[in-house]
Amino acid sequence: MSWKIWSLKKSPWVFHVNAGACNNCDIEIVDLLTPKFDVERFGVKLVGSPRHADALLVTGVGTRQAAKRVQEAYRQTPKPCVVFAIGACACGTGIFNTGYHVVGPIDKIIKEVDPNAIIAYVPGCPPKPEAMISGIVKALSAL
Amino acid sequence: MAAVYERDKRGKKMSEVFESLFWILIFPGFLFTAVFGLAASWIVRKVSALVQWRVGPPLYQPYVDVMKLLGKEILIPENAQISIFVGAPIVGLAGVLLLSTMLWRITIEPTRPFVGDIIVAIYLMVLPSLALILGSSASASPHAAVGTSREMKLVMSYELPLVLAFVVVIIKTAALTGQGQQLSLAAISRHTPVLSISGMLAFLVTLLCVQAKLGFVPFDIAESETEVAGGVMMEYSGALLALWKIIQAMMLVALPLFLVMVFLGGFGTAGWPLVGGISKYVLVLVLLILIKNTNPRVRIDQAMKFFWVYCGITLVVAVILATAGNYYGIGWL
Amino acid sequence: MNQQELDNRLSQIKNKPFGSELRAELLTAIERKSDKRIFLLCEAENAYAVNKFLFEDIGARFCTVTGIDSDKCFELLYHYSYDPTGCVITVKTFIRNRQAPAIESITPLLPAAEWIEREIHDILGIDFRNHPNLKRLILADDWPVGVYPLRKDVKK
Repeated sequence: MSWKIWSLKKSPWVFHVNAGACNNCDIEIVDLLTPKFDVERFGVKLVGSPRHADALLVTGVGTRQAAKRVQEAYRQTPKPCVVFAIGACACGTGIFNTGYHVVGPIDKIIKEVDPNAIIAYVPGCPPKPEAMISGIVKALSAL
Repeated sequence: MAAVYERDKRGKKMSEVFESLFWILIFPGFLFTAVFGLAASWIVRKVSALVQWRVGPPLYQPYVDVMKLLGKEILIPENAQISIFVGAPIVGLAGVLLLSTMLWRITIEPTRPFVGDIIVAIYLMVLPSLALILGSSASASPHAAVGTSREMKLVMSYELPLVLAFVVVIIKTAALTGQGQQLSLAAISRHTPVLSISGMLAFLVTLLCVQAKLGFVPFDIAESETEVAGGVMMEYSGALLALWKIIQAMMLVALPLFLVMVFLGGFGTAGWPLVGGISKYVLVLVLLILIKNTNPRVRIDQAMKFFWVYCGITLVVAVILATAGNYYGIGWL
Repeated sequence: MNQQELDNRLSQIKNKPFGSELRAELLTAIERKSDKRIFLLCEAENAYAVNKFLFEDIGARFCTVTGIDSDKCFELLYHYSYDPTGCVITVKTFIRNRQAPAIESITPLLPAAEWIEREIHDILGIDFRNHPNLKRLILADDWPVGVYPLRKDVKK
């Protein structure tokens, strides 16, 4: 495997995007990044700008207003990058399936911009931080 | 005879050029300082982790970070000034490269210094901050503009106390160094001004100024991640961001080394002085880490007031004490 | 005032004309669902007056507004909390005109109601007269004008 992918696996910097979430998953993501779960041992670091990021943690069902913004954030992330769909809503719209404002789950929104996007799914409502760590580790080792 | 002499002079010049290139690029210049600096940044992260009762990143983490950044694509914003955007990290790298090479050369070979090199060092230390300001203002982004203005205010705040502190040191060591050697870093680094009241005050103020220059909490106002989405470095990605990280790592070597040389009595090259030098460097690094981990981030107006008012008054007192100590011959003032 | 006095004062306005206009009654009914839960039913024209009474004379604290699309009419529920006794008073307003629902906005009286009225306007299409800033609030920028999502006759 090329050195680019290897170094991406060892040092994934994450950026958090909220695409119309109820904030439950966002709270759990913030919990994940506290010293208690210590994701820094995997090299995970929270960065403030999508241009520094390797992994986008996207929460929320994709609302109509947020869809364009999520696509823009994806375009601003330098490739190669991974998109994590966190939570039941991001994986497949969850309970908001028939809402008037729902455009589609996150993978549909991202694949409009880049059909070859690498997307990993972490279901749960909200997923526990341990589940998120397990998801991140599994996704990175499958790269 | 004359022709042989000419060829000899030219030959010596070429080998001197190669020697200088070796010093600047390999040892103790770019490669050595970058590797050492990334290891120092690992020490910072590991000690911060231990202070927070957690396991930190593994040893190779900063190197993998830089490697990964070199492998990502570079995105340049549409409205950015490309020449300044790309040129700024290169200018910053040049500044910190020259600074660290100079400091290591003075440490390793004190017989080749030049008088006035402390002034060159102070001037070179400003160059990375200036490059940061230029690069972020060329980014054409409102977040970066906020970061730029904050960084400019911060640089204006701490440059004055920094220079005043070095004036204190020069006053303190003026009586002890030889004639005409007052401004020579090699001569200053043989004494320890920190063992006096004015020297200790100046050392504490310089420690905080170095904290601000390195962009550590409580003064990481310009790159405050959660406030301005990355601030000054927001639009940088890929290899340019890797350059900024390397510049930060090299500053992490150069600035505490400068502190050790000016205040704590220099860095030896062999035997016990070497061990002493390394432990002094580690002491300064640990002080920086502890201050970093026990303080929140301050606002820019709080930082300006702190540097101008509190540090300024402290240093004025220190200057008076140092001058009085020199005049009356009291060493510990 | 305690709960008993509150009940008395609320009953008083049922038959009293308000302002200079003489009206038969402002409230159509007062319902007490429980000890601390009072509903004041009225028609759309009198809603502003009842709100003004609750806010200024009784001194209740405005909480929020709920909009409901019932089959025959629109209902707006203005919720107030009377903090000294913990009683929640709701003004239940009926807007009978389903084709062009409109009501007097209470934002000039209570600036805190500005955004909730914008939201109800976006979602249910009720026009608030005299609202200072009736712009789109929560629907997406490219949502078609005139489609009100939470009306019962709008299918997804």
